[in-house]
Parts: sequence; structure tokens; C-alpha cells
Amino acid sequence: MRRALAGVGASKGLALGRARVRHPHVLTLSEETIAPDAVAAELERLEAAMQAARDELSGLRDKLQGALAQEIGEFLELHVLILDDPELRAGLRDLVQTGRYSADYALKLQRDRLAAVFMAMDNDYFRTRLDDLDHVIGRVHAALHRRPDDGQLGLAGEILVADDIAPAELAELSRQQLLAVVTRAGSPLSHSAIIARGLHLPMIVGCSDALSHVNDGDALVVDGREGLLVVEPDADDLARYRVTRAKIEKKRAQLERLKRAPTRTQDGFDIGLHANAERREEIAEALALGADGVGLFRTEFLFMGRTQVPDEDEQFHAYRDAVLGMAGRPVTLRTLDLGADKADNSGLALRNEPNPALGLRGVRLSLSRPMLLDAQLRAMLRASAFGPVRVLVPMVTAREEIEAVKVRLHALAARLREDRVPIGERITFGVMVEVPAAALTLIDYADLVDFAAVGTNDLVQYLLAADRTHEALDGLYSERHPAVLRLLHQLFAQARDAGLPIHVCGELAASAPDVPLLLALGLRDFSVHPGALLEVREAIRAADLGKLKRRAASLLQCRERGDVERWLQRVRAA
Amino acid sequence: MLERQIPVVNRLGLHARASAKLVQLLAGFKAQATLVGAGREVNAKSIMGVLLLAAGQGSSVTLRTDGPDEAEAMAAAEALFARRFDEES
Repeated sequence: MRRALAGVGASKGLALGRARVRHPHVLTLSEETIAPDAVAAELERLEAAMQAARDELSGLRDKLQGALAQEIGEFLELHVLILDDPELRAGLRDLVQTGRYSADYALKLQRDRLAAVFMAMDNDYFRTRLDDLDHVIGRVHAALHRRPDDGQLGLAGEILVADDIAPAELAELSRQQLLAVVTRAGSPLSHSAIIARGLHLPMIVGCSDALSHVNDGDALVVDGREGLLVVEPDADDLARYRVTRAKIEKKRAQLERLKRAPTRTQDGFDIGLHANAERREEIAEALALGADGVGLFRTEFLFMGRTQVPDEDEQFHAYRDAVLGMAGRPVTLRTLDLGADKADNSGLALRNEPNPALGLRGVRLSLSRPMLLDAQLRAMLRASAFGPVRVLVPMVTAREEIEAVKVRLHALAARLREDRVPIGERITFGVMVEVPAAALTLIDYADLVDFAAVGTNDLVQYLLAADRTHEALDGLYSERHPAVLRLLHQLFAQARDAGLPIHVCGELAASAPDVPLLLALGLRDFSVHPGALLEVREAIRAADLGKLKRRAASLLQCRERGDVERWLQRVRAA
Repeated sequence: MLERQIPVVNRLGLHARASAKLVQLLAGFKAQATLVGAGREVNAKSIMGVLLLAAGQGSSVTLRTDGPDEAEAMAAAEALFARRFDEES
């Protein structure tokens, strides 16, 4: 029977396939004991399952490549260590040998024992290690019940429906030709969702009815943009699927033609369009799509999932490669922006902070580790010998912070010149506007900087006091809140008055439907991830700047999100 | 048997990565290793044990090593703590 289930679109794209349902490994077993003469065989079964789980983990690690490997490898390593844990193993063996429990029940008992201790911890970070334990126990449990032909089938033509999915697994499944993923839990801002978008794998999260309403083998249509899942689609659904599919194909062909088109509005104004890029493929894509430069290169990716901080030379090579890759177009290198949402696998940032979003992050962290900051700045300066580099500092709040970094930067540059190390002639220095205080006072520190970049994700989060990854606050975090629009308008006006170049590199810039909004507010330079570059260019080319300027006043009078959305509709209709 | 009190001086305390390093390091020695902190005593060769200790920065732990290479194991572990688990520049 046809059913339509709603979730949240996490990675756009359309897929038609058959369901592969994976129920979570809930170890809700009743007490299960075994006969004394079965102990040896049960121990062997447990041992084999643990070995199988271990093989899977090493297999996964071997298959990962590139940046993904760094990010995920560390979790896998932790999971291997948990599997090999002598206490865990001895406890399990003892439960089977002495307690004469089945391997399954022993797993449950052992898990519950450890979970009780973890749950009692008063530290969130350590409490969340329980997830790692559950992941490992789940893997062993799955191995205990695996039929010999499982996993050999491949996933071509299939759509995975699961409780949740780990980032590492997603990468692996995509390689096995999986078509799409639907999860009951999760958020579009989770690590898995970000990876799904990178893999161009359609994904729906938060589809609460998925597990109870989908059976293995059901035909499914997944619309990752709308977050809509159709189970057992009827003729109408299939017709719609074909139409949408054709539209997507057509759109792709249209966008293809936009690669060489100028980023110019209907009424002839040229608008800046940069790319947010750091990996080699992204840099290549940015150049191929005609980006004006790299508006944001996040240096964190060099630090993620590492046991050691990359040294100056390693950083220099990465930055230089990006500069060379952009063939003379400017590359904006942002100093380390580790903080609350990225701390988990970096080893550098604070994990024990009671309020990490308001703590030691961004430039605050850098200034507290001068050695680290100096190495970054020197590496950036050295890269500037190979093409235009713009140094960008995140999370500034006060003029003093900007001055402190600038003084260091210039002292390091002078020193490098003295030592006859080649660096660029001009050092371009800018700051990220993410803290509302920095947005309100741009004019007061504009004399210190050559440009500014707006990180709308954090700016909105701080302005609205709403965590963008908080599931229950879904409706509250919105870039279309009137306060956000008025603040941006004021910010762009200050930049214009100071003659300071400013661009937006947050998610808002990459949202094609919001392009008229940003243009009306006064933005003239966008920086977006390469995947959104052509769509944003298309939206800019469709816009009439003069008309939008005339509508700015009515936009600033909006009193609620609904008003803003109606304003956008009117602009589209005009 | 050797016993030493070791201050946890790295910024993050015994978080997952630091714990993993300690466990991996001690796995290379024959000596038994026990970590005592916050009224709890755990096997220092067990990742779950060390994680359960959850020693934050500023606290100190007591490490006991017992076995043929107890001195080497102790020295290596002390050095790892002193190096702040190689996590800071």
C-alpha cells in the first residue's frame, strides 16, 4: 500500500530503489543460559564474532581515502581498541564460562554494566563515549547473527532505511552503489549528512516512521531535497518521479552552460562569486566553475583526526598547493577555527568547557597558543610567494584581538623577509564577522583590516541564541529572522562606508533562493561551496539589482519570518 | 611494584585520544598496569577502564606498574603524560 512519510531533507537528489531495512541492534533479550557442555562452542562463537567485527573495522579503515580517512580513522581506531579491551573480553568470557550465559546475553550484561558507569558521569564528553561502546557491541552482536550470504549481495539499487548511520559507514555504502539513505534519527547538520552531501548521496533524516512503515524489499522513492519518502509508489508517484528526474537532468545541463558565464545581474552589475574549498578536488572544481577565487579555505581540515598538529612545512605545502591550484586568483586562508562543533576529533580544542560555543574558540584559541598561530601565519606568508593570499582570522570580538594578530603577522613577515624567505609583496589581512559585537562595530576596526568575511552560521546562532544543530529548536534557528536581515543590512552599510570589501561565506550565501535577499541587503560578494556555485550564479544572473534595491525598505520592515518569505515570493513573481 | 602519582597536565585531560595512546603504549609492556583516580581503580591497559576514570585536566592519577619491565613501563607512561600526549604544539 502506498504511504508517504515525511522527514527532513539532508542531502538533495532523487532515488528510486528497493528498501534494505536495518533495525537497530537493541539487546533487549531475556536471560538466556546454555548447557555446561555448550560453553566451549559458545566461547568460540563469541570469539569468531569479535574477530569478524575487528576485520570489518580494519577493512573499513583500509578502504577510506583522503580527508575522510583522517576524520573517521580515529573513531575506528578507538573502536578497535574497545574490541581488544582485555577487561571487556575477560568480562565476556567470564559471563559465558562461569555465568553460562549465551554470547548474546553476555554482550547485553557487559554493555549494561559499563553503560551504568558511563551514564553516572557528570561530564558530557565522557558520557558520549557510551555511543562508541554501543557501536562496538552492536557490531559484535550483528556478527553473531550474520547469515553467511549477508553483505555479499552488494547494495546496487538499494535504499538503506536505518535508525542512524555513522559517517564511516556512509562512505563505504556509497562505494557499494547504495542509492540513498533514510534514517529515523539524525539531523541535516550532522557529520553524516555533510558527508552524504559530499558524496552526492540523497539522504533523508528524522523520518520518524521509516522503521515502522517500511519493509525489506518495498519499492521506495526518496526525495532528498524535500525530505519526502514514498513507500510502494503508485503510478502517479512514478510519473512524478520521472518528471522530476528529467527536470533535474535538464537543470544539470543548463547549469553546465553557466560555467563560463559571467556572474552579472540582469541590469549589468558584476557580483563577486568565490568558492569555499580546501581539498584538492574542490579547488580544481572551483577553478573549473569559474570562481573568482577561494573565499574560504578552512585550515581545520589539516588538523582534524590527527594525533599530531601539522607543522609549518606541512601547512605550507597544503596552502601553497591551493594557491597554485587557483592559478593567480586569490585564496583566502582562515586560521584555525576549532570550537564547540568540531572539537570532537581534533584533540586541540577544549572539550571540557561547560559552554564551548562561548568559550575558547577561533582566534581566542589561536591567541592562547601563540606557537601554533605563528606556525600557521608563517606557512600562509610563505604560500603568498606563489600567488595572492588573504589571511582570514575567525571569531573576532574586540579590536584588541585583531591588533594582536595583525602585529604578529607583520612581525613574522618582516622576519621572513629579513631571512630572505620569499613571501608576497602585499599581505592582505581580514577578519570573520561571526560575533554580533563584531558585526555592530565593523566601522570601528575597519582601519585595521583589508576585508571582512561574514560567517552567517555562527552569527545567526549567536544572534538568536539558538544552536543550529539542536533538533528541538528547528524552527527557531533561521537566517530569515528579521533581526538577522537588519544586522546584515547594517553590517554591509558599514563596510560600504568604510570602503571595505566584504563577502558572505556561510550557508546562507550558498542558498540560491536567498540570493535576492542578500543582494537587496547590500551584499556584492558571495563565497559558496563548489556544489552550489552554479546555482548561485544562475540566481544572481536572474536578479535585477536596481529593483531589489528599491524593495530593500520593505524587506527591512518585515516583522516575522513569514513576511520575509512572502517578500521573496513577491520578488520571484515580479 | 612501582607506584607514582602523575599530574594530568594536558588541556583536555584523559580524553579518548589520550586514553587510547596510554593504552596502546602500555600494551607494549609485560607489566600489569593499574590507574587509580577519583576513588576508582582501573586496569590501565583497558580502554574502557581508562575512559571510565575520566580524569580531567588538573587532576592527578596514580599509576602502578607490576612485572618484569615495570620500570620501563612507568618511565614511558610518565613521559607520555609529561609530553601532554603529544597533542599540543
